[in-house]
Amino acid sequence: MSRRILPSGIVALSVMLCACSHSEGGSASGPPATGLPSGGEISALPMGHIAGLTDSAALARSIPNPYGDNPQAIASGKALYIKMNCAGCHGYDAKGNMGPDLTDTYWRYGGLPAQIFQSIRDGRAQGMPAWGAALPPQEIWKLVAYIQSLGGTYSVDGTPRNAQRPELVAPELSSHADDAPR
Amino acid sequence: MRNLVRSPAAGALAPSPRIEGRVHDPVHRHTPRRGAAIAGALFLGLPACGYSLQAADAPAAPPVSTNNLSGATLNSSPNDPAGEWHSQARDFANSRYSPLDQINTGNVGKLRIAWTFSDGTLHGHEAAPLVVSDTMYVVTPFPDMAYALDLSKPGASIRWTFKPNPSPMALGKACCDAVTRGIAYADGKLIYNLLDDHTVAVDAKTGKEVWRVMMDNLETGATMTMAPLVVGNKVFVGNSGGEMGVQGWIAALDVDTGKQLWRAYSTGSDKRVLIGAEFKPFYSWMKGNDLGISTWPDGMWKHGGASVWGWISYDPGTNLIYYGTSNPSPRVPAQRPGYNLWASTIFARDADTGMARWAYQTTPHDEWDYDAVNEDILMDLRINGEMRKVLVHFDRNAYAYTIDRTTGEVLIAAPFAYLNWSTGFDAKIGRPIVNQDKEPRPGVKLDNICPPDIGGKDWQPAAMSPRTGLVYAGIFNICMDLTDHEVGYIASTPYDGMEMQRHAAPGGNLGEFMAWNPATGKKMWAIKERFMTMSGALATAGDVVFYGTADGWFRAVDARNGSVLWSQKLASGVIGQPITYLGPDHRQYIAIYSGVGGAATVRADTSMSGFPAQGGTLYVFSINGDSIGAEPALPSVSNDAGAPAPTANRGQQ
Repeated sequence: MSRRILPSGIVALSVMLCACSHSEGGSASGPPATGLPSGGEISALPMGHIAGLTDSAALARSIPNPYGDNPQAIASGKALYIKMNCAGCHGYDAKGNMGPDLTDTYWRYGGLPAQIFQSIRDGRAQGMPAWGAALPPQEIWKLVAYIQSLGGTYSVDGTPRNAQRPELVAPELSSHADDAPR
Repeated sequence: MRNLVRSPAAGALAPSPRIEGRVHDPVHRHTPRRGAAIAGALFLGLPACGYSLQAADAPAAPPVSTNNLSGATLNSSPNDPAGEWHSQARDFANSRYSPLDQINTGNVGKLRIAWTFSDGTLHGHEAAPLVVSDTMYVVTPFPDMAYALDLSKPGASIRWTFKPNPSPMALGKACCDAVTRGIAYADGKLIYNLLDDHTVAVDAKTGKEVWRVMMDNLETGATMTMAPLVVGNKVFVGNSGGEMGVQGWIAALDVDTGKQLWRAYSTGSDKRVLIGAEFKPFYSWMKGNDLGISTWPDGMWKHGGASVWGWISYDPGTNLIYYGTSNPSPRVPAQRPGYNLWASTIFARDADTGMARWAYQTTPHDEWDYDAVNEDILMDLRINGEMRKVLVHFDRNAYAYTIDRTTGEVLIAAPFAYLNWSTGFDAKIGRPIVNQDKEPRPGVKLDNICPPDIGGKDWQPAAMSPRTGLVYAGIFNICMDLTDHEVGYIASTPYDGMEMQRHAAPGGNLGEFMAWNPATGKKMWAIKERFMTMSGALATAGDVVFYGTADGWFRAVDARNGSVLWSQKLASGVIGQPITYLGPDHRQYIAIYSGVGGAATVRADTSMSGFPAQGGTLYVFSINGDSIGAEPALPSVSNDAGAPAPTANRGQQ
């Protein structure tokens, strides 16, 4: 039953959008990333028991976001989050609506940067569209940077991104959280 | 206002619903009829007078049990057996009225749980069960399973289970939870819609699939959640997705094969909308060629929403069906100047051909998500001395309409819930007058718009009693703070743009259950509820009306005066539709699902203490909880000589 989504309007819109962000000035699109991870690396990320941070995430942990905490990339990612209608599903506050909350530390498909990249690029079975056909990798990494900035994701060094919220993190670091749908 | 808490039933402590209404308030028995002038003049500024409306209007009811306060009469076609329930609304007129009266105002306080059924799913439970002969049929929210329950067996054991396995992708496309609003029975088959855009027919005897047809493309964001209506050999279905920029449509399928007989879109050319020579809207602003194109900015009708996710009713006298369309897409009005026909519109169509007979747009150029999909209850009424064939419609825009169903003329439009988006109703042109202070602009936060996106009432259907002549409905008392964001169309993603926060309107209560006189446009009484009142209503010949609340109370009230006669707290919130039936034991039962979800999980609700968790349990009640075979099937331990050993047959039965 797994059907891939290739929204017909996405390509046209992303062309529009890229043009648009250039016309607004180069700074809005953030700095160019150097040393982008290869697409093959991302594709090799395992599926499975991956909610939170587990041993199976070793490969994902080897792939940091090339934009890191770059504020321009985060700002571009936020603009993309609105323009690509991510907000329509995940909420303008990213706290979830039709789609899951992106600010908590529960990640059905993993909360490391590379895992989030994979979810955006390839889509997920319960309705998340695959954006790989519409957005080039650097744009997806900017979206990841924005989502990382919200505080619920995990860093590649194994620590929760938001150390100020240890209460949200501890259970998932210490055990294999189940990935029951919600 | 005073508390009227009757005997808490089944050991549960009932909260105190606040009842307003003069009928059982001797202090106000001779209050002048303040509300009459207000509603009769078709409303001037509800915020100031909304609560006087509901407090003052009931004429002193003589103690005659058959007194019909509006004079309304009901056509009960297709006249199913009195003890059965074959469609979501029970009849074509959408009355949700049962002629059963074993359970009545005198004994309803003795209702107790007879049996329960857990269906193993947790999304919002909005559907009513059906009862045909000795079998009950229920359909679950996603993954859209159907069960047949054997009412002749103790505890109503499962006879068969049907698992259609819809695509999980649909979960991420449904705006308002992965719900279904129910199943229809026709000629030995059960017909319903799957969230992934298929209509399916199942053999009622065996639970085997008879046919399945794909009706829309999930990759456009379309889903299907509405309950089909069956008339003869046709079943009518429609799509959901007004938040996703879909193209709304209604279609007629052949009951035997699923073959499509006609399909009418809600936007686009007259040809697509099935508008022809016999189309005669009552108001001139809905007359013209291809208005489904020209009332939109260039090409925007193609993603204009106007889906058909609510109720369909049918008049056998004229062979017309009646239904409403959803909000226009995107939900940001600044992006689509124009009336945006035929969104937020009630249609009358020929059942055989689908050709439109008339239309009436309840909210032209909708700016607040006021769909027109709510039920149209058909009845005949005397208005100004003249018998009129009408439909009664409580719109999301918080106006209650009594409309001539043969012409589309609005006879009465009066607010039934708190509103401030409109300052009155222009009866000459048939349109609400828009309050310009409540028109959103992109990027500007606009506080306190009432009602909110889900309206003064949402899809939860009202019930009508031909004994009282009144219509009973769960309604809302909610407002929203709104910020619009411009959006672009991307297939399969929301074409939406509304960022909002809902909160209670003045009074602080989110819900209310009310009785409405459709001949006068006046509220007769109301029960205020702290949480949303988002269940369907059931009216019976026992003069009892049933409804539930989002926090899980299921209540029985006196149809004449709103006295709460019985309340029972259920496991989860109640957003389903109660029904009643006669079991094989000729005993009357009441059935209701418990399982909160859908639009009832608004943040204003979930952040309040007392909001329940999800659930998925059907409750069935009877007087004293009596039911078939409630005693153990095996003999109890007995001192009688010669009694069989209680464990002798265990394992073999």
